[in-house]
Amino acid sequence: MEKTLQILNALERDGVVGKYAIGGAMGATFYIEPVLTFDLDIFVVLPQTGSLLTLTPLYEMLRAKGYHEEGECVNIEGVPVQFLPAYNALLEEALAEAREIHYEHTPTRVLRAEHLVAICLQTGRDKDRERVRLFREEAALDMQYLMGVLKRHGLEDTWQRLNK
Amino acid sequence: MATPEQVKAAIAKLVAAKRDRRRRLAALPYPEKVRAVVQLQRMTVPILKGRNKRARVWEIDTRE
Repeated sequence: MEKTLQILNALERDGVVGKYAIGGAMGATFYIEPVLTFDLDIFVVLPQTGSLLTLTPLYEMLRAKGYHEEGECVNIEGVPVQFLPAYNALLEEALAEAREIHYEHTPTRVLRAEHLVAICLQTGRDKDRERVRLFREEAALDMQYLMGVLKRHGLEDTWQRLNK
Repeated sequence: MATPEQVKAAIAKLVAAKRDRRRRLAALPYPEKVRAVVQLQRMTVPILKGRNKRARVWEIDTRE
């Protein structure tokens, strides 16, 4: 996965994407026990082309580098990567406050655990609710920070309902 | 024959051991967790293929 992250860093360096961070199941796996997934969710800030937010320039650049689409993902160095533009205020905040980490020798970013929990609450599928449970059991959540995130994005009731 | 209290205590011990194991897994370094995810993929892909679902094991060097 290190090579995949190096390609993502190059895309950011070259301005093809703005800031990026690992989210989804692989983001969660940074904080909790390993969870099964088949793709790497990458949240990105996209450079704005007119009033449109489009992944087309990114996909074209990747194609030119020899990385091809597989369904909703692009296979980058053996890892299917799904790019998810930051399409709402929660995701924008999550990206802005993502943690800088190193994977082996390569710098990268992962969304904060509290933002991953909030995203799960916002998405609200069965697997998201299960992931929130794992976060509560296994991750060192900053509860004060989490409550702030939930309040800002109108997710306090969802959190309360889940904890009943 | 075990008493209900003994059964209850044994189950509590199992649940606690499972919780401890999960916490140990959660504390692993990230690259080790990625290797574990790939191992989970290896275990799961044959089952999914049997159900005609598309899934592929990541082609990464797990000796990294």
